[in-house]
Amino acid sequence: MTLFTFVIKNLARRRIRSCLTCLGISIAIGAVVALVGVAAGFERNFVEVFEGRGVDLVVVEGGITEQLTSSLDERLLERIRALPGVANAAGMLLEVLAFEKENLVGVMVQGWAADSLLMQHLSVTAGRLVRPGDKQQAMVGSLLAKNLKKRVGDTIEIDREDFTIVGIFESFNVFENGAVVVPLEELQRVMLRPGQLTAIAVLTTAAGSDKVEAVAAVCREIESFTDAKGRRLRLTALPTRDYVSNTLQIRMAHAMAWVTSSIALFIGAIGMFNTMMTSVLERTREIGILRALGWRPGRIVRLILLESVVLGLIGAVVGTLLALGMIRSMAEMPSVGGFIQGDPSWWVIGQGFAMALGVGLVGGGYPAWVAARLLPTEALRHE
Amino acid sequence: MNKDLGTPLLRTEALSRHYPDGRVTALCDVTLEIRRGEYVAIVGPSGSGKSTLLNLLGGLDRPTRGKIYFQGHELSARSSDLDAYRARHLGFVFQSFCLLPTLTALENVQVPMFETERCARTRRARARTLLAEVGLALRLHHLPCQLSVGERQRVALARALANRPELILADEPTGNLDSGKTGEILELLARLRARHGTTLVVVTHSLEVAHAADRLIQLRDGRVVADAPTPGRQAA
Repeated sequence: MTLFTFVIKNLARRRIRSCLTCLGISIAIGAVVALVGVAAGFERNFVEVFEGRGVDLVVVEGGITEQLTSSLDERLLERIRALPGVANAAGMLLEVLAFEKENLVGVMVQGWAADSLLMQHLSVTAGRLVRPGDKQQAMVGSLLAKNLKKRVGDTIEIDREDFTIVGIFESFNVFENGAVVVPLEELQRVMLRPGQLTAIAVLTTAAGSDKVEAVAAVCREIESFTDAKGRRLRLTALPTRDYVSNTLQIRMAHAMAWVTSSIALFIGAIGMFNTMMTSVLERTREIGILRALGWRPGRIVRLILLESVVLGLIGAVVGTLLALGMIRSMAEMPSVGGFIQGDPSWWVIGQGFAMALGVGLVGGGYPAWVAARLLPTEALRHE
Repeated sequence: MNKDLGTPLLRTEALSRHYPDGRVTALCDVTLEIRRGEYVAIVGPSGSGKSTLLNLLGGLDRPTRGKIYFQGHELSARSSDLDAYRARHLGFVFQSFCLLPTLTALENVQVPMFETERCARTRRARARTLLAEVGLALRLHHLPCQLSVGERQRVALARALANRPELILADEPTGNLDSGKTGEILELLARLRARHGTTLVVVTHSLEVAHAADRLIQLRDGRVVADAPTPGRQAA
């Protein structure tokens, strides 16, 4: 018999209580993995939109928190392209649509120049790409086409105007598969934002170990742009990852995920504490026997902590499986399918397990301490 | 049998135990010596201090005053030293057996060995041997609730021997047994003592158990009122 065998036997003895505790922990860990996983996946996909195309930095209007409200002059593109160390730059205009009948909210409409580098990574599965000069014509991502049941030749309404679908594309990125791509000038027209962009994606010539510094130098250069009167333009240029992690939606998604997860974890820890405390009080006499037989307080602590950690880790396994099932089924739902990737990263799953371990140690810590402090004579007298 | 048989194993000097409020004196100035291989029965009416003395000798409780010497060394008051003392030198037998209900007989006997033997396989092999010695070779995998009361006390005896202790302290070891089973346990205790050379201190109300001892210590109101070889026996 090992200490672990002893632990398992103690847990199996109170099956219902152990199962209920595991269930509580699994819900808490499931919430952590699902919510943090979705938020992290959201960020990862957002980063991938840029990094998948080799974009090193993104320029938006300075002082804004919401990308949709950013307004940049299209002529900035040429100034940025002319900077030393810049390989290319592409302008983007972003709009968000809702298709209420299909219960689809937050569908992104990307306004890209037809010859933009952003178009290069789209593979057409039906029809064709939009061309320079196309009027009231759009391409839709494969996931959106499936959710809206649209085919080439159908129309899609953007800001009360019907656009004909000329192509259906497949991107390496789940966001884009749930998006609409319209020629930049057409989106500027329907949104009444002629000559305006929401962001500029910049590719640099930097490579290797000096890349971070080179990108930072380009960022500084762009932020120091001035207008004809020598006044500084309000621009924010950030390396791609910084830009994404500073995005309001990403920050909100992370904050919501952590707040909800923290509440779930707190409740899980209370449940664990209750279970372990009850278990210690019920086993006072047994603990007295162990102490009388020479078990040191440290071994008693290990026994109780191991019990709570095992409960926590079983909860983590069940919770992670629940979360995976939940995320995968959510990824299939048309309303959120364009934003969620079915597989949370190992890092998020690892965080879930680390938290389960933490809940086990925190929830079992005080009961273990109480158990270790029991005086053998008093514990043996306990009925 | 141990070659040091008859030499002092345990000695107390003016041992006293008052309970915290100071009004109850459970034990008062108890001085005694227990020699190796000896079988000592502590008798006395309820409340005379028998169990208190046993707890002090077993390092389960600390005296208010006085000293305990084991193998010539004073018992430390430090909890960690007392834990090591109980694990390495003592075996306990309790009236109500005190077996852990979720563990089989084989596992219960292994429990004290966690502090002394790192190898699980060795613990298991030793527990198996001890259970065979107490006649339970065929009941290894039974839970306490599947054993008779006599068998449970046999498991407790095997457990007390798990760490090859010099001293076994037994608190009413036959208190829950009928006379037939009491005889069996006494016979087993005698056999195990002879085989392992273990010193045995028993707190008992049973005349049968007391008369089997080499020496009787009688307590009354926390004081030793008689300490003599059991009638009909010679001192060890």
